[in-house]
Amino acid sequence: MSAAPQEHSFVHRHEALIYGLVLLIAILVIWEGLARGWWAELAGPLIGPAAAKLRIRPIFISAPTYIAMQAWQMYVVTGEIWKHIAVSTAELVLGLGLAISFGIPFGLVTGWYRRLGYAAQPFLAALNATPQVALLPLMVIWLGTGFAIRIAIIFLLAVLPIAIAAQAAVKTTDGRLVRLANSFGASQRHLFATIILPASIPFLIGGLRLAIGRAMIGIVVGELYGSALGIGLMINRAGSMFETDTVFVGVLTIVAAGLTLTDLLRRIERRLEHWRPPGDGAAT
Amino acid sequence: MDQHSTPLGDRPHAPSVRVWVPEERTLIGTAALLAFLLVWELTAALRLIDPLFISSPLRVLAAGREMFSTGEIWKDIEASGSAFLWGYLLSIAVGVPAGLAMGSWRRINLLLGPVVDTLNAVPRITLLPLIVIWAGIGIWSKIAVVFLGAVIPITIYTLAGARTSEARFTRIALSFGASRLKIFTSLVLPGVVPFVFTGLKYGAGRALLGVVVGELYASTAGLGHMIAQAGNALETDVVFLGVLLFTITGLAIVGILDAIERWFDRWRPEPGGQR
Repeated sequence: MSAAPQEHSFVHRHEALIYGLVLLIAILVIWEGLARGWWAELAGPLIGPAAAKLRIRPIFISAPTYIAMQAWQMYVVTGEIWKHIAVSTAELVLGLGLAISFGIPFGLVTGWYRRLGYAAQPFLAALNATPQVALLPLMVIWLGTGFAIRIAIIFLLAVLPIAIAAQAAVKTTDGRLVRLANSFGASQRHLFATIILPASIPFLIGGLRLAIGRAMIGIVVGELYGSALGIGLMINRAGSMFETDTVFVGVLTIVAAGLTLTDLLRRIERRLEHWRPPGDGAAT
Repeated sequence: MDQHSTPLGDRPHAPSVRVWVPEERTLIGTAALLAFLLVWELTAALRLIDPLFISSPLRVLAAGREMFSTGEIWKDIEASGSAFLWGYLLSIAVGVPAGLAMGSWRRINLLLGPVVDTLNAVPRITLLPLIVIWAGIGIWSKIAVVFLGAVIPITIYTLAGARTSEARFTRIALSFGASRLKIFTSLVLPGVVPFVFTGLKYGAGRALLGVVVGELYASTAGLGHMIAQAGNALETDVVFLGVLLFTITGLAIVGILDAIERWFDRWRPEPGGQR
Protein backbone atom coordinates (compact mmCIF):
# COMPACT_ATOMS: atom_id res chain seq x y z
CA MET A 1 0.00 0.00 0.00
CA SER A 2 2.58 2.53 1.10
CA ALA A 3 4.72 2.53 -2.00
CA ALA A 4 6.51 5.79 -1.31
CA PRO A 5 6.24 6.54 2.39
CA GLN A 6 9.39 8.66 2.44
CA GLU A 7 8.04 11.11 -0.09
CA HIS A 8 7.86 14.61 1.37
CA SER A 9 5.73 16.03 -1.38
CA PHE A 10 2.94 18.57 -1.21
CA VAL A 11 0.25 15.89 -1.35
CA HIS A 12 1.87 13.80 1.34
CA ARG A 13 1.96 16.64 3.80
CA HIS A 14 -1.63 17.60 3.15
CA GLU A 15 -2.74 14.00 3.47
CA ALA A 16 -2.04 14.04 7.20
CA LEU A 17 -4.11 17.20 7.57
CA ILE A 18 -6.97 15.78 5.52
CA TYR A 19 -7.08 12.53 7.50
CA GLY A 20 -6.96 14.46 10.77
CA LEU A 21 -9.71 16.88 9.77
CA VAL A 22 -11.97 14.17 8.39
CA LEU A 23 -11.63 12.13 11.55
CA LEU A 24 -12.18 15.13 13.80
CA ILE A 25 -15.32 16.20 11.95
CA ALA A 26 -16.59 12.61 11.86
CA ILE A 27 -16.17 12.24 15.63
CA LEU A 28 -17.87 15.57 16.32
CA VAL A 29 -20.81 14.79 14.03
CA ILE A 30 -21.30 11.29 15.44
CA TRP A 31 -21.15 12.69 18.99
CA GLU A 32 -23.57 15.50 18.25
CA GLY A 33 -25.90 13.06 16.51
CA LEU A 34 -25.93 10.66 19.43
CA ALA A 35 -26.90 13.39 21.84
CA ARG A 36 -29.52 14.99 19.59
CA GLY A 37 -30.97 11.70 18.40
CA TRP A 38 -30.22 12.21 14.70
CA TRP A 39 -29.09 8.61 14.31
CA ALA A 40 -32.12 7.28 16.15
CA GLU A 41 -34.42 9.17 13.76
CA LEU A 42 -32.45 8.10 10.70
CA ALA A 43 -32.33 4.45 11.69
CA GLY A 44 -35.86 4.36 13.11
CA PRO A 45 -37.62 3.30 9.92
CA LEU A 46 -34.97 0.66 9.25
CA ILE A 47 -34.51 -1.13 12.56
CA GLY A 48 -37.56 -0.09 14.51
CA PRO A 49 -37.58 0.43 18.27
CA ALA A 50 -33.98 -0.75 18.64
CA ALA A 51 -32.96 2.60 17.16
CA ALA A 52 -33.76 4.27 20.46
CA LYS A 53 -30.42 2.98 21.69
CA LEU A 54 -28.74 5.39 19.28
CA ARG A 55 -30.06 8.30 21.30
CA ILE A 56 -28.01 8.98 24.41
CA ARG A 57 -29.24 11.50 26.95
CA PRO A 58 -27.04 14.62 26.92
CA ILE A 59 -26.47 14.44 30.66
CA PHE A 60 -24.32 11.40 29.92
CA ILE A 61 -22.26 12.53 26.96
CA SER A 62 -23.15 16.19 26.42
CA ALA A 63 -22.55 17.30 22.82
CA PRO A 64 -20.02 19.50 21.05
CA THR A 65 -22.52 22.34 20.59
CA TYR A 66 -23.70 22.14 24.20
CA ILE A 67 -20.09 22.30 25.38
CA ALA A 68 -19.40 25.27 23.13
CA MET A 69 -22.49 27.10 24.40
CA GLN A 70 -21.61 26.33 27.99
CA ALA A 71 -18.05 27.55 27.42
CA TRP A 72 -19.43 30.78 25.93
CA GLN A 73 -21.67 31.17 28.97
CA MET A 74 -18.94 30.55 31.49
CA TYR A 75 -16.17 32.51 29.81
CA VAL A 76 -18.02 35.46 28.33
CA VAL A 77 -21.57 35.86 29.57
CA THR A 78 -21.27 35.20 33.29
CA GLY A 79 -17.50 34.98 33.46
CA GLU A 80 -17.86 32.64 36.43
CA ILE A 81 -15.01 30.40 35.29
CA TRP A 82 -12.40 33.12 35.67
CA LYS A 83 -12.41 33.02 39.45
CA HIS A 84 -11.82 29.26 39.31
CA ILE A 85 -9.02 29.78 36.82
CA ALA A 86 -7.45 32.46 38.98
CA VAL A 87 -7.32 30.19 42.03
CA SER A 88 -5.98 27.21 40.12
CA THR A 89 -3.38 29.38 38.41
CA ALA A 90 -2.16 30.62 41.77
CA GLU A 91 -1.86 27.03 42.99
CA LEU A 92 -0.03 26.02 39.85
CA VAL A 93 2.43 28.92 39.98
CA LEU A 94 3.25 28.33 43.64
CA GLY A 95 3.39 24.53 43.46
CA LEU A 96 5.37 24.38 40.24
CA GLY A 97 7.59 27.25 41.36
CA LEU A 98 8.43 25.45 44.59
CA ALA A 99 9.06 22.22 42.70
CA ILE A 100 11.44 23.98 40.32
CA SER A 101 13.30 25.92 42.99
CA PHE A 102 13.75 22.79 45.09
CA GLY A 103 14.01 20.09 42.43
CA ILE A 104 16.67 21.65 40.22
CA PRO A 105 19.21 22.41 42.99
CA PHE A 106 18.50 19.05 44.62
CA GLY A 107 19.01 17.16 41.38
CA LEU A 108 22.14 19.12 40.44
CA VAL A 109 23.74 18.61 43.86
CA THR A 110 22.92 14.91 44.11
CA GLY A 111 24.14 14.45 40.56
CA TRP A 112 27.39 16.31 41.21
CA TYR A 113 28.37 14.79 44.56
CA ARG A 114 28.43 11.10 43.92
CA ARG A 115 28.03 9.94 47.50
CA LEU A 116 25.15 12.30 48.13
CA GLY A 117 23.55 10.82 45.06
CA TYR A 118 23.92 7.30 46.51
CA ALA A 119 22.30 8.48 49.72
CA ALA A 120 19.37 10.06 47.86
CA GLN A 121 18.86 7.12 45.53
CA PRO A 122 16.64 4.85 47.71
CA PHE A 123 14.33 7.75 48.53
CA LEU A 124 14.01 8.88 44.93
CA ALA A 125 13.38 5.31 43.77
CA ALA A 126 10.78 4.64 46.43
CA LEU A 127 8.97 7.94 45.93
CA ASN A 128 9.08 7.47 42.18
CA ALA A 129 7.52 4.00 42.43
CA THR A 130 4.75 5.27 44.71
CA PRO A 131 1.68 6.92 43.22
CA GLN A 132 2.31 10.11 45.19
CA VAL A 133 -1.38 10.87 45.29
CA ALA A 134 -1.69 8.07 47.87
CA LEU A 135 -0.05 10.49 50.32
CA LEU A 136 -3.01 12.83 49.99
CA PRO A 137 -4.92 11.64 53.09
CA LEU A 138 -1.72 11.99 55.10
CA MET A 139 -1.22 15.50 53.85
CA VAL A 140 -4.77 16.35 54.82
CA ILE A 141 -3.85 15.39 58.38
CA TRP A 142 -0.75 17.59 58.28
CA LEU A 143 -1.97 20.54 56.26
CA GLY A 144 -5.74 20.53 56.49
CA THR A 145 -7.93 20.95 53.44
CA GLY A 146 -7.06 24.53 52.59
CA PHE A 147 -4.90 26.14 49.97
CA ALA A 148 -1.68 24.61 51.35
CA ILE A 149 -2.54 21.04 50.50
CA ARG A 150 -3.23 21.90 46.90
CA ILE A 151 0.19 23.52 46.56
CA ALA A 152 1.77 20.58 48.39
CA ILE A 153 0.29 17.95 46.09
CA ILE A 154 1.30 19.87 42.97
CA PHE A 155 4.79 20.24 44.42
CA LEU A 156 4.99 16.55 45.28
CA LEU A 157 3.84 15.43 41.84
CA ALA A 158 6.04 17.86 39.92
CA VAL A 159 9.26 17.79 41.93
CA LEU A 160 10.36 14.23 41.11
CA PRO A 161 10.62 14.45 37.33
CA ILE A 162 12.46 17.76 37.71
CA ALA A 163 14.93 16.42 40.29
CA ILE A 164 15.54 13.20 38.38
CA ALA A 165 16.09 15.10 35.13
CA ALA A 166 18.55 17.50 36.78
CA GLN A 167 20.42 14.58 38.32
CA ALA A 168 20.61 12.75 35.00
CA ALA A 169 21.82 15.93 33.32
CA VAL A 170 24.83 16.31 35.60
CA LYS A 171 25.66 12.63 35.48
CA THR A 172 25.70 12.48 31.71
CA THR A 173 27.66 15.68 31.11
CA ASP A 174 30.46 14.99 28.70
CA GLY A 175 33.36 13.88 30.90
CA ARG A 176 35.92 15.13 28.36
CA LEU A 177 34.69 18.69 28.75
CA VAL A 178 34.91 18.44 32.52
CA ARG A 179 38.43 17.02 32.36
CA LEU A 180 39.48 19.70 29.92
CA ALA A 181 38.15 22.47 32.18
CA ASN A 182 39.79 20.85 35.19
CA SER A 183 43.16 20.71 33.51
CA PHE A 184 42.89 24.39 32.73
CA GLY A 185 42.33 25.01 36.41
CA ALA A 186 38.64 25.95 36.28
CA SER A 187 37.04 26.45 39.65
CA GLN A 188 34.07 24.29 40.59
CA ARG A 189 31.79 27.28 40.29
CA HIS A 190 33.13 28.17 36.89
CA LEU A 191 32.82 24.58 35.75
CA PHE A 192 29.28 24.50 36.94
CA ALA A 193 28.19 27.73 35.29
CA THR A 194 29.88 27.22 31.92
CA ILE A 195 29.68 23.46 31.34
CA ILE A 196 27.26 21.64 33.62
CA LEU A 197 24.43 24.14 33.47
CA PRO A 198 24.36 24.65 29.70
CA ALA A 199 24.61 20.89 29.14
CA SER A 200 21.72 20.37 31.54
CA ILE A 201 19.19 22.55 29.74
CA PRO A 202 17.70 19.88 27.42
CA PHE A 203 17.28 17.51 30.35
CA LEU A 204 15.73 20.18 32.54
CA ILE A 205 13.29 21.10 29.79
CA GLY A 206 12.37 17.44 29.41
CA GLY A 207 11.83 17.15 33.16
CA LEU A 208 9.76 20.31 33.20
CA ARG A 209 7.59 19.01 30.39
CA LEU A 210 6.76 15.93 32.47
CA ALA A 211 6.28 18.11 35.52
CA ILE A 212 3.69 20.29 33.77
CA GLY A 213 1.61 17.26 32.93
CA ARG A 214 1.77 16.03 36.50
CA ALA A 215 1.01 19.48 37.89
CA MET A 216 -2.21 19.43 35.87
CA ILE A 217 -3.12 16.16 37.58
CA GLY A 218 -2.19 17.81 40.87
CA ILE A 219 -4.66 20.64 40.27
CA VAL A 220 -7.53 18.23 39.84
CA VAL A 221 -6.54 15.81 42.59
CA GLY A 222 -5.62 18.50 45.11
CA GLU A 223 -9.03 20.05 44.70
CA LEU A 224 -10.79 16.81 45.64
CA TYR A 225 -10.72 18.26 49.12
CA GLY A 226 -11.81 21.64 50.32
CA SER A 227 -14.71 23.69 49.17
CA ALA A 228 -13.46 26.99 47.83
CA LEU A 229 -12.71 27.61 44.18
CA GLY A 230 -10.68 26.02 41.45
CA ILE A 231 -10.99 24.31 38.08
CA GLY A 232 -10.57 20.83 39.51
CA LEU A 233 -13.20 21.55 42.12
CA MET A 234 -15.51 22.89 39.44
CA ILE A 235 -15.06 19.65 37.44
CA ASN A 236 -15.69 17.45 40.47
CA ARG A 237 -18.74 19.38 41.56
CA ALA A 238 -20.22 19.50 38.07
CA GLY A 239 -19.63 15.77 37.73
CA SER A 240 -21.50 14.98 40.91
CA MET A 241 -24.42 17.10 39.68
CA PHE A 242 -24.43 15.47 36.22
CA GLU A 243 -23.54 18.78 34.55
CA THR A 244 -21.59 17.06 31.82
CA ASP A 245 -21.21 20.22 29.72
CA THR A 246 -19.42 21.97 32.57
CA VAL A 247 -17.17 18.94 33.14
CA PHE A 248 -16.07 19.07 29.52
CA VAL A 249 -15.49 22.82 29.65
CA GLY A 250 -13.27 22.29 32.70
CA VAL A 251 -11.34 19.41 31.16
CA LEU A 252 -10.79 21.39 27.96
CA THR A 253 -9.61 24.38 29.99
CA ILE A 254 -7.00 22.21 31.70
CA VAL A 255 -5.93 20.72 28.38
CA ALA A 256 -5.57 24.20 26.92
CA ALA A 257 -3.53 25.32 29.93
CA GLY A 258 -1.25 22.30 29.64
CA LEU A 259 -0.71 22.83 25.92
CA THR A 260 -0.03 26.54 26.43
CA LEU A 261 2.56 25.86 29.11
CA THR A 262 4.24 23.16 27.01
CA ASP A 263 4.37 25.57 24.08
CA LEU A 264 5.84 28.27 26.31
CA LEU A 265 8.48 25.77 27.40
CA ARG A 266 9.30 25.02 23.78
CA ARG A 267 9.83 28.72 23.13
CA ILE A 268 12.09 29.05 26.16
CA GLU A 269 14.05 26.02 25.01
CA ARG A 270 14.53 27.52 21.56
CA ARG A 271 15.70 30.77 23.13
CA LEU A 272 18.15 29.00 25.44
CA GLU A 273 19.36 26.50 22.89
CA HIS A 274 19.96 28.69 19.88
CA TRP A 275 23.74 28.64 20.49
CA ARG A 276 23.93 24.88 20.16
CA PRO A 277 25.20 23.81 16.73
CA PRO A 278 22.77 21.46 14.98
CA GLY A 279 23.46 17.79 15.54
CA ASP A 280 25.65 18.41 18.56
CA GLY A 281 25.81 15.21 20.55
CA ALA A 282 26.22 16.83 23.96
CA ALA A 283 22.67 16.05 24.99
CA THR A 284 22.55 12.43 23.96
CA MET B 1 27.62 0.75 31.52
CA ASP B 2 30.33 1.66 33.97
CA GLN B 3 32.33 3.99 31.80
CA HIS B 4 29.21 5.73 30.49
CA SER B 5 27.02 6.17 33.50
CA THR B 6 29.29 8.38 35.61
CA PRO B 7 31.79 10.22 33.49
CA LEU B 8 32.30 12.61 36.38
CA GLY B 9 33.69 9.71 38.33
CA ASP B 10 36.88 10.49 36.45
CA ARG B 11 37.53 13.43 38.69
CA PRO B 12 40.89 13.22 40.49
CA HIS B 13 39.84 11.23 43.54
CA ALA B 14 37.90 8.63 41.62
CA PRO B 15 40.37 5.98 40.33
CA SER B 16 41.50 4.70 43.71
CA VAL B 17 37.92 4.32 44.85
CA ARG B 18 36.56 2.77 41.69
CA VAL B 19 37.20 -0.86 42.64
CA TRP B 20 34.57 -0.89 45.37
CA VAL B 21 32.10 1.51 43.80
CA PRO B 22 29.16 -0.93 43.68
CA GLU B 23 29.48 -1.75 47.36
CA GLU B 24 29.83 1.92 48.24
CA ARG B 25 26.60 2.65 46.42
CA THR B 26 24.57 0.06 48.34
CA LEU B 27 26.38 0.86 51.58
CA ILE B 28 25.60 4.57 51.47
CA GLY B 29 22.08 3.97 50.20
CA THR B 30 21.24 1.50 52.93
CA ALA B 31 22.86 3.66 55.59
CA ALA B 32 20.82 6.69 54.49
CA LEU B 33 17.62 4.67 54.54
CA LEU B 34 18.33 3.23 58.00
CA ALA B 35 19.29 6.67 59.31
CA PHE B 36 16.01 8.06 58.04
CA LEU B 37 14.00 5.28 59.69
CA LEU B 38 15.92 5.73 62.94
CA VAL B 39 15.35 9.48 63.04
CA TRP B 40 11.67 8.92 62.27
CA GLU B 41 11.32 6.31 65.02
CA LEU B 42 13.17 8.50 67.54
CA THR B 43 11.16 11.59 66.66
CA ALA B 44 8.02 9.65 67.44
CA ALA B 45 9.42 7.79 70.46
CA LEU B 46 10.70 10.99 72.09
CA ARG B 47 7.42 12.68 71.21
CA LEU B 48 9.16 15.54 69.42
CA ILE B 49 6.16 15.25 67.13
CA ASP B 50 3.03 13.44 68.26
CA PRO B 51 3.05 9.96 66.65
CA LEU B 52 -0.62 10.51 65.95
CA PHE B 53 0.53 12.73 63.07
CA ILE B 54 3.63 10.98 61.79
CA SER B 55 3.26 7.41 63.09
CA SER B 56 6.60 5.58 63.23
CA PRO B 57 8.26 2.67 61.42
CA LEU B 58 7.55 0.21 64.26
CA ARG B 59 3.93 1.31 64.48
CA VAL B 60 3.48 0.86 60.74
CA LEU B 61 5.01 -2.59 61.05
CA ALA B 62 2.66 -3.46 63.91
CA ALA B 63 -0.33 -2.20 61.94
CA GLY B 64 0.77 -4.33 59.02
CA ARG B 65 1.15 -7.43 61.18
CA GLU B 66 -2.29 -6.92 62.66
CA MET B 67 -4.10 -6.24 59.41
CA PHE B 68 -2.53 -9.20 57.65
CA SER B 69 -3.15 -11.57 60.55
CA THR B 70 -6.81 -10.64 60.85
CA GLY B 71 -7.00 -10.81 57.09
CA GLU B 72 -9.14 -7.70 56.79
CA ILE B 73 -6.69 -6.12 54.37
CA TRP B 74 -7.00 -8.87 51.78
CA LYS B 75 -10.34 -7.74 50.40
CA ASP B 76 -8.89 -4.27 49.79
CA ILE B 77 -5.81 -5.74 48.15
CA GLU B 78 -8.05 -7.92 46.02
CA ALA B 79 -10.25 -4.98 44.98
CA SER B 80 -7.30 -2.77 44.05
CA GLY B 81 -5.36 -5.63 42.53
CA SER B 82 -8.13 -6.76 40.21
CA ALA B 83 -8.88 -3.20 39.04
CA PHE B 84 -5.19 -2.66 38.36
CA LEU B 85 -4.65 -6.01 36.68
CA TRP B 86 -7.67 -5.88 34.37
CA GLY B 87 -7.12 -2.27 33.39
CA TYR B 88 -3.42 -2.74 32.85
CA LEU B 89 -3.74 -5.98 30.87
CA LEU B 90 -6.44 -4.40 28.73
CA SER B 91 -4.22 -1.40 28.04
CA ILE B 92 -1.38 -3.71 26.98
CA ALA B 93 -3.73 -5.76 24.79
CA VAL B 94 -4.87 -2.56 23.05
CA GLY B 95 -1.78 -0.34 23.25
CA VAL B 96 0.89 -2.67 21.87
CA PRO B 97 -1.06 -3.81 18.76
CA ALA B 98 -2.24 -0.23 18.16
CA GLY B 99 1.31 1.09 18.37
CA LEU B 100 2.61 -1.64 16.06
CA ALA B 101 -0.18 -1.08 13.56
CA MET B 102 0.40 2.68 13.59
CA GLY B 103 4.10 2.11 13.06
CA SER B 104 3.58 -0.35 10.22
CA TRP B 105 0.78 1.26 8.21
CA ARG B 106 1.04 4.93 7.49
CA ARG B 107 -2.70 5.39 6.94
CA ILE B 108 -3.60 3.89 10.31
CA ASN B 109 -1.10 6.25 11.85
CA LEU B 110 -2.66 9.21 10.05
CA LEU B 111 -6.06 8.19 11.37
CA LEU B 112 -5.22 7.24 14.93
CA GLY B 113 -2.28 9.60 15.47
CA PRO B 114 -4.36 12.72 16.15
CA VAL B 115 -6.61 10.76 18.52
CA VAL B 116 -3.66 9.44 20.51
CA ASP B 117 -1.99 12.86 20.59
CA THR B 118 -5.18 14.53 21.74
CA LEU B 119 -5.76 11.99 24.50
CA ASN B 120 -2.13 12.36 25.49
CA ALA B 121 -2.67 16.06 26.07
CA VAL B 122 -5.62 15.38 28.36
CA PRO B 123 -4.75 14.49 31.94
CA ARG B 124 -7.03 11.44 31.89
CA ILE B 125 -7.62 11.71 35.62
CA THR B 126 -9.79 14.76 34.92
CA LEU B 127 -12.18 12.48 33.05
CA LEU B 128 -12.91 10.60 36.27
CA PRO B 129 -16.16 12.47 37.06
CA LEU B 130 -17.42 11.59 33.57
CA ILE B 131 -16.36 7.98 33.91
CA VAL B 132 -18.17 7.76 37.23
CA ILE B 133 -21.31 9.10 35.55
CA TRP B 134 -20.99 6.42 32.87
CA ALA B 135 -19.79 3.46 34.88
CA GLY B 136 -20.77 4.12 38.47
CA ILE B 137 -18.40 3.83 41.40
CA GLY B 138 -17.73 0.11 41.14
CA ILE B 139 -14.77 -1.69 39.67
CA TRP B 140 -15.62 -0.71 36.09
CA SER B 141 -14.86 2.96 36.53
CA LYS B 142 -11.55 2.04 38.13
CA ILE B 143 -10.68 -0.30 35.29
CA ALA B 144 -11.56 2.46 32.84
CA VAL B 145 -9.33 5.02 34.58
CA VAL B 146 -6.45 2.55 34.80
CA PHE B 147 -6.89 1.63 31.15
CA LEU B 148 -7.05 5.24 29.95
CA GLY B 149 -4.00 6.16 32.01
CA ALA B 150 -1.82 3.29 30.83
CA VAL B 151 -2.87 2.77 27.21
CA ILE B 152 -1.55 6.09 25.89
CA PRO B 153 2.10 5.79 27.01
CA ILE B 154 2.16 2.14 25.94
CA THR B 155 0.84 3.04 22.48
CA ILE B 156 3.19 6.00 22.07
CA TYR B 157 6.33 4.11 23.07
CA THR B 158 5.45 1.07 20.95
CA LEU B 159 4.86 3.38 18.00
CA ALA B 160 8.20 5.09 18.58
CA GLY B 161 9.90 1.70 18.66
CA ALA B 162 8.22 0.44 15.51
CA ARG B 163 9.21 3.65 13.72
CA THR B 164 12.85 3.53 14.67
CA SER B 165 13.45 -0.03 13.52
CA GLU B 166 16.66 0.33 11.62
CA ALA B 167 16.02 1.33 8.02
CA ARG B 168 19.35 -0.23 7.01
CA PHE B 169 18.30 -3.66 8.20
CA THR B 170 14.96 -3.32 6.50
CA ARG B 171 16.64 -2.46 3.19
CA ILE B 172 19.00 -5.42 3.49
CA ALA B 173 16.10 -7.73 4.29
CA LEU B 174 14.11 -6.37 1.35
CA SER B 175 16.99 -6.85 -1.06
CA PHE B 176 17.23 -10.46 0.06
CA GLY B 177 13.56 -10.81 -0.78
CA ALA B 178 12.09 -10.93 2.70
CA SER B 179 8.33 -10.63 2.94
CA ARG B 180 6.66 -7.87 4.96
CA LEU B 181 5.62 -10.45 7.52
CA LYS B 182 9.17 -11.76 7.82
CA ILE B 183 10.53 -8.23 8.25
CA PHE B 184 7.93 -7.57 10.89
CA THR B 185 8.57 -10.69 12.96
CA SER B 186 12.35 -10.78 12.73
CA LEU B 187 13.28 -7.08 12.55
CA VAL B 188 10.54 -4.83 13.85
CA LEU B 189 9.36 -6.93 16.79
CA PRO B 190 12.77 -7.56 18.37
CA GLY B 191 13.74 -3.92 17.89
CA VAL B 192 10.56 -2.71 19.49
CA VAL B 193 11.00 -4.65 22.74
CA PRO B 194 12.98 -2.06 24.75
CA PHE B 195 10.52 0.67 23.74
CA VAL B 196 7.53 -1.44 24.68
CA PHE B 197 9.00 -2.08 28.10
CA THR B 198 9.70 1.60 28.66
CA GLY B 199 6.07 2.23 27.78
CA LEU B 200 4.95 -0.59 30.07
CA LYS B 201 6.88 0.94 32.99
CA TYR B 202 5.41 4.40 32.40
CA GLY B 203 2.03 2.79 31.94
CA ALA B 204 2.32 0.90 35.22
CA GLY B 205 2.94 4.17 37.07
CA ARG B 206 -0.09 5.73 35.40
CA ALA B 207 -2.15 2.65 36.16
CA LEU B 208 -1.28 2.75 39.85
CA LEU B 209 -2.11 6.45 39.92
CA GLY B 210 -5.45 5.60 38.34
CA VAL B 211 -6.19 3.01 41.03
CA VAL B 212 -5.37 5.44 43.84
CA VAL B 213 -7.30 8.39 42.48
CA GLY B 214 -10.23 6.21 41.47
CA GLU B 215 -10.45 4.85 44.97
CA LEU B 216 -9.89 8.17 46.71
CA TYR B 217 -12.50 9.85 44.58
CA ALA B 218 -15.33 7.37 44.63
CA SER B 219 -15.10 3.82 45.78
CA THR B 220 -16.26 1.45 48.46
CA ALA B 221 -13.27 -0.87 48.56
CA GLY B 222 -9.58 -1.03 47.77
CA LEU B 223 -6.31 0.17 49.22
CA GLY B 224 -6.96 3.77 48.19
CA HIS B 225 -10.30 3.58 49.94
CA MET B 226 -8.57 2.10 53.00
CA ILE B 227 -6.04 4.94 53.01
CA ALA B 228 -8.76 7.56 52.72
CA GLN B 229 -10.80 6.01 55.53
CA ALA B 230 -7.76 5.68 57.77
CA GLY B 231 -6.87 9.29 57.05
CA ASN B 232 -10.33 10.43 58.11
CA ALA B 233 -9.95 8.44 61.34
CA LEU B 234 -6.44 9.81 61.97
CA GLU B 235 -5.00 6.29 61.78
CA THR B 236 -1.67 7.34 60.34
CA ASP B 237 -0.17 3.85 60.82
CA VAL B 238 -2.71 2.41 58.41
CA VAL B 239 -2.25 5.28 55.96
CA PHE B 240 1.50 4.68 55.89
CA LEU B 241 0.91 0.95 55.55
CA GLY B 242 -1.28 1.55 52.52
CA VAL B 243 1.23 3.93 50.94
CA LEU B 244 3.99 1.40 51.63
CA LEU B 245 2.01 -1.34 49.91
CA PHE B 246 1.65 0.90 46.86
CA THR B 247 5.39 1.62 46.92
CA ILE B 248 6.21 -2.09 47.13
CA THR B 249 3.79 -2.81 44.30
CA GLY B 250 5.36 -0.12 42.14
CA LEU B 251 8.89 -1.39 42.79
CA ALA B 252 7.83 -4.99 42.23
CA ILE B 253 6.21 -4.21 38.89
CA VAL B 254 9.31 -2.41 37.64
CA GLY B 255 11.47 -5.32 38.88
CA ILE B 256 9.31 -7.90 37.15
CA LEU B 257 9.20 -5.90 33.91
CA ASP B 258 12.99 -5.52 34.00
CA ALA B 259 13.39 -9.27 34.45
CA ILE B 260 11.04 -10.05 31.56
CA GLU B 261 12.78 -7.48 29.39
CA ARG B 262 16.17 -9.04 30.09
CA TRP B 263 14.77 -12.41 29.10
CA PHE B 264 13.40 -11.02 25.84
CA ASP B 265 16.61 -9.15 25.16
CA ARG B 266 19.05 -11.91 26.08
CA TRP B 267 20.07 -12.32 22.44
CA ARG B 268 21.36 -8.73 22.31
CA PRO B 269 25.18 -8.82 22.13
CA GLU B 270 26.12 -6.17 24.69
CA PRO B 271 23.74 -3.79 26.44
CA GLY B 272 23.83 -0.38 24.84
CA GLY B 273 26.74 -1.47 22.64
CA GLN B 274 25.09 -1.26 19.24
CA ARG B 275 25.02 2.48 18.81
